[in-house]
Formats: sequence, structure tokens, C-alpha cells
Amino acid sequence: MSSLLCALPTVFSIGLQRQLAYRWNYLLRALFSAVPLLVSWVFWEAVFQGKETVGRYTLAGLLTYYAVLLVVEAVSSPADDDFQISREIREGMLNPILLRPLPYGLYRGALFLSGRCAYLVAAFIPVLLCFFILSRVVHLELASFDILHGLPALFGSALLQFSLTLCLSLTSFWFLDISSLIFLVYSLEFLAGGHVFPLDLLPAPLFTAARLLPFAYEYWFPAAALCGTLSHREWQIGIGMQFAWAIFFLFLAHLLWKAGLRKYTAAGG
Amino acid sequence: MLYFIHLLKLWLIQVRYAITRELAFRANFFAWVIVELAWFVLQLAFVGVVYQHVDSVAGWNRYEMIVLVATNQLIQQIFTAFLMPGLVKLPDLVRTGGLDFLLLKPAPPQFLVSTSSLEIGPLANAGIALIVVLSSLHSLAITPTLSATFTYLLLVLAGLFVHYALLLALVSFTFWIVQAESVLLGYYSIFQVARLPREATRGWFRVIFTFAIPLLLVANVPASVLLRNMKITPILLFLGTSLSAALLASLFFYLGLRRYQSASS
Repeated sequence: MSSLLCALPTVFSIGLQRQLAYRWNYLLRALFSAVPLLVSWVFWEAVFQGKETVGRYTLAGLLTYYAVLLVVEAVSSPADDDFQISREIREGMLNPILLRPLPYGLYRGALFLSGRCAYLVAAFIPVLLCFFILSRVVHLELASFDILHGLPALFGSALLQFSLTLCLSLTSFWFLDISSLIFLVYSLEFLAGGHVFPLDLLPAPLFTAARLLPFAYEYWFPAAALCGTLSHREWQIGIGMQFAWAIFFLFLAHLLWKAGLRKYTAAGG
Repeated sequence: MLYFIHLLKLWLIQVRYAITRELAFRANFFAWVIVELAWFVLQLAFVGVVYQHVDSVAGWNRYEMIVLVATNQLIQQIFTAFLMPGLVKLPDLVRTGGLDFLLLKPAPPQFLVSTSSLEIGPLANAGIALIVVLSSLHSLAITPTLSATFTYLLLVLAGLFVHYALLLALVSFTFWIVQAESVLLGYYSIFQVARLPREATRGWFRVIFTFAIPLLLVANVPASVLLRNMKITPILLFLGTSLSAALLASLFFYLGLRRYQSASS
């Protein structure tokens, strides 16, 4: 157990060094992730012409949501962990990892964490700049910013996204190329996760259905919790659903790993 | 002229190879068609949600907006089929030194980089996008004239030039920064601008994305040709800027290529 605890910071440190070696890549990624916010701003400004509210949102409220979404994305979205895991399985690179006295899930968890830390460092200034520019143009609704409800939801989102990524990547034990599956899930995350628009703009039955799926707890729920637009009861139900989905995917990943290892054939010396 | 015929022959060989490969991995082919279709549905769902709350955005009604979004999809899918798969491989080729093999071949490097890989799947989605355009025009009771149809197709081609210019310029950064995978994210992020109605924009945003990076013209001009009687000036402006963008991107690519140092021994 103590050797395990010693190993994790080392894996984290190696992961961090690897990520920061490509800091330009990260900085570009952070800069480009701000472009959809700019597009949303321009588009919604046109939608709000002559209207005070759309659904229950004012223009400022909606832009606050998109800006907070940048923070959620920076903290919880995996970078290319899915493709890395898939490559490790497909190209037999699991061999040295299997020999280490470290569970694979924890190993990937430490790398995921290091990736998020590196990205946060790179994204900090661009995200701050976005908030600054937006706040000069519209009155961002940050007064109701709820860190107490937002932080657990943010942590839950990271855990959920990591566990879902792990499940998807582990299907590489059975399929040669899983990139189409990954991109299909991306599209679902974007639509049903509240990345393109806040889910409460959907008609009521669709909104209810979306909240039953895991995707809503990846982006919409943590963003809404941080914006302070959820009642305490809604937050309680949401956090319960979020962690239930995360635990489900972690358990599923465990099963996939066990079954996959039985199928895994390592070639080479 | 003979040289262009030679290049065309090379390209047709690549197309034949791509078709053979796609037919060998049929499940993958259909999986990608579904993936791209899902992204298109996502865009249409967004339009659906917005128009639940408003009747018009910057003077574009629901069906006009669908024509705009579907036109953008049509251009993007043709680009994804013929040019994008080759371009996105450039960062890897530079990092691993695999570009050496392309540089040794008797054809221009830009041509080889751009056409080294093709995907046939996106063409199915381009067909779906075209059907959506036609059905929206039907809902608007618009029957395009022959000249409008011809101009539309010409402008779709010009849109391809803009897509090509932007991605070529972005992937060329790989000659300066080692890992440039994020440029693909950049391409997808920046191209969201092309789905905006031009009338929704103003100020520096409109100027930059009309004249410097003409993304606001990519889908807007062809869609407007079908939907409205468009004057010849913006059409000529778009044709001019798309060609200029492609030329500038090409210059940038060759500037970067001069920095290329083989990674192999």
C-alpha cells in the first residue's frame, strides 16, 4: 500500500512533465477553446435582438453559462486520454505497465490528473481573459456564483468524464479502431451534455429525459451548479445522479479491464 | 498542361485506393457515416431549439437557417472526404520524419500532403446535407434557377478553398511547434464562425471574418444565392478572397517546409 502511495506522485510528476513538454500545444488548445464562446456570444446577441429573455435566460445569464462552461471544460475534460489508452492496448504497450505494482485505473487516474493540471496552467490566462472581455461588454451574472455547490459537481464531472473515457478506451481490447465510437460519444456529450446550449432551453419532456442520461452531469450540471441556478433540492438529486453514473462507469471499466486482459495478447520481447 | 494531367492521374489512383480500402473496412465506413451524421443532427437540433423561442435570427427564418447550416455541412463534408485526411497527417509526418518519403516522390509536396489520404464516407453525408438543402428550399417554396444552381456549386468550390487554406495554414504550424494536434481543434472551433448568418455580426468581427479569414462568406454567400437575389459584387469578392487565402496558405506551407529537418537517421 505504501509503495502504491509512493508510486502515484511519481506517475503524476512524469505525466506533468510529459504534458508541459508540449506547452505550446496546450496553450493553442486553450486559446481555440475560447472561440466557441465568441461564436455563441455573436449568435445569441442576434437571437436576443428585441427580446429580454429566451427561456429563463437573459443574454448576460446565457453568456455567463458559456463562460463557466470553459472552466468546467478546463477542469474536467480529458485531453487525449482515450486515444492514449487505446494505443497502449492496440500496440501492446501495456506490457511494461502490467509489470508494475500499480493498478491500471489508478495509473491512468494519476496521468489524467496531471493532464488536467497542465491544461489548467495553460488555460488560466486565456479563460481569465475571456471573463474580463465578457464582463466589459455584458454584466456577467457572477453574483450568484455558488462555489459550495459548484466544487463537488466539478469534481463529480471530472470523475464521470474519466470513468466514461476509461470504459470507451477499454473497448480497444475487442475493436481495432475505436475513434468512430469516441467521436460518436463526443457528439452526444455536446448535445445532451449542454455544451451547445443549456439543457433547460429544451422542451420540458426532453429536458427531463436528458437529466436521466450521464452526459448532462458532465457539463450542464456542474456549470449550472457553479452559476447558482439550481435549487438545493435539484443540486442534491443532480449530485446523486452524477456520482451514481461515475460509480457505474468505474465498475463497468473494472469489468471491461478484467475481461479484456483475458483477451489481450502481448507481442514482442 | 501535361503536368496537370499527370497530377490528375495520380489523384485518381489515390481515389481508387481509398475506395478499395473503405470497402475492405465496411463497418468502419458506416460507423463514420453515423458519426458525421450525428454531428449534423446536433447542429440541426441547435437550430430547432433556438427557433422554439424566436421566429427569426438576424433576418433568417428557420428554413433559411437550415439552408445555411446544411450548405456549411455540404462544403465541410466534401472537404473532409478529399483534402482533410491528408492534411491532418502532416504534424505526425513532420514529428516522425515520415515526410521524407513524400518529399522524395516526383510531385509537388503540397499536392502530396493534401491528397495522400482520402475518405469516401463523408460523401454520403454531403449527399444528406444536399437533400436537407433541397427539402428546406421546398418548404420555402423556392425553386432555384439554372444560373443560381450553377453559381451555388461554384461558390461551394470556393468554400472548399477557404477550408483548405485555413487547415493548411494551421497544420503548417507544425514546422515550428513539435506537437500540433490541437490545430485540428482550432480548425473545428474557428469554422463554427461559418455557420453564423453574416447579418448577425458587426464591427471588427465582421471585418476580420470577411476580409482576413473569409469564413463568414463560406456558407453565407452560396446560401444567399439560393435564397435571395444576390448581387454580383459579394460573389466576386468571395471568389477573390478564397483564391487569395489558398495562395497565402500555400506560401506559408512552403515557408514552413524550409525549416523541416528530417527526424530519421
